[in-house]
Amino acid sequence: MKKKRERLEIIKDILIAIRDKGNNVKPTHILYRSNLSHKMLKEYLKELLEKSLVEENFDKKNNITYSITPKGANYIDDFKAIKSFMESYGLD
Amino acid sequence: MVISYFSPSWFRGVDIMLEFSFFLISLLITLFAYKIYKETSNRSVKYFWIGFLFISIGNFILTIFNFLIILNPSNLIFDIVVTTINDSQVTFLELLGLYSHIISMIIGLSFLVYTTLKDKNTKTLILIIILSLTGTLLNDNNLYMFYLFSTILLGFILWHYIMNFIRNKKIETLLVTIAFVFLFFGNFHFLIAVNHEVFYVIGHTLEFFAYLLILGNLLLIRRK
Repeated sequence: MKKKRERLEIIKDILIAIRDKGNNVKPTHILYRSNLSHKMLKEYLKELLEKSLVEENFDKKNNITYSITPKGANYIDDFKAIKSFMESYGLD
Repeated sequence: MVISYFSPSWFRGVDIMLEFSFFLISLLITLFAYKIYKETSNRSVKYFWIGFLFISIGNFILTIFNFLIILNPSNLIFDIVVTTINDSQVTFLELLGLYSHIISMIIGLSFLVYTTLKDKNTKTLILIIILSLTGTLLNDNNLYMFYLFSTILLGFILWHYIMNFIRNKKIETLLVTIAFVFLFFGNFHFLIAVNHEVFYVIGHTLEFFAYLLILGNLLLIRRK
């Protein structure tokens, strides 16, 4: 059986989904790429906004779009070290 | 109050160097954990880096404190091997150093215990700190009670790391678990060291291996 994706991994996947699509994407694109339910994605985006890993923008039609912050970019770069460190000490 | 400094004469100076290395390694962990916290804003990591900050401060104070004891010739008048200091000979600076070390270490370990509880209520953390500090400080033999309470706190932390290793069998989790086994037994040895100097040496040696493993784990993580 496939192991359930961990929280840290899901956050990385969302950030990569945003970055790879020109760093300015609509929630529907993130939903499609992250393979999460609508409710779960909403919760994750709220958390990422609170942690300043992503920021909310508005396009010309006043639709919400998301882009990653420099902090979010660092998270992607250091993901392996972050995951390994948190796993080492059982932090979540 | 009685403070006992049970270091064999041949080990004096070596213990201070070891304590300084504990300070450096715990400071490295603090800085790395702080960097992770800045990138993730993770709550557990926040309490973890604060915990290690207190531990590194405690290790630094211990280094200075033991250095001061060796520098003060009046502390060495009783015996060349075993030095016992009573109230009349303890200088204000030495007392300040000892209490600062005890308080820093107890707070640091309490923070680490709190990260293992997965509890979001900070009142739990405050309760652990208050209980441990009052139990340690409101006693005639502060040093003995300090080692007793820190052994109990380390026992809880070790339990968490053993469970973490069972859940996630990786070299990193194994290194941390073994390191905390050494820290736990090293601390436990300090409890017995109040009566025997050999255990003081064993305690320091075990602690040294523990910090080496923690450093090894940090280097492994940084290579990723």
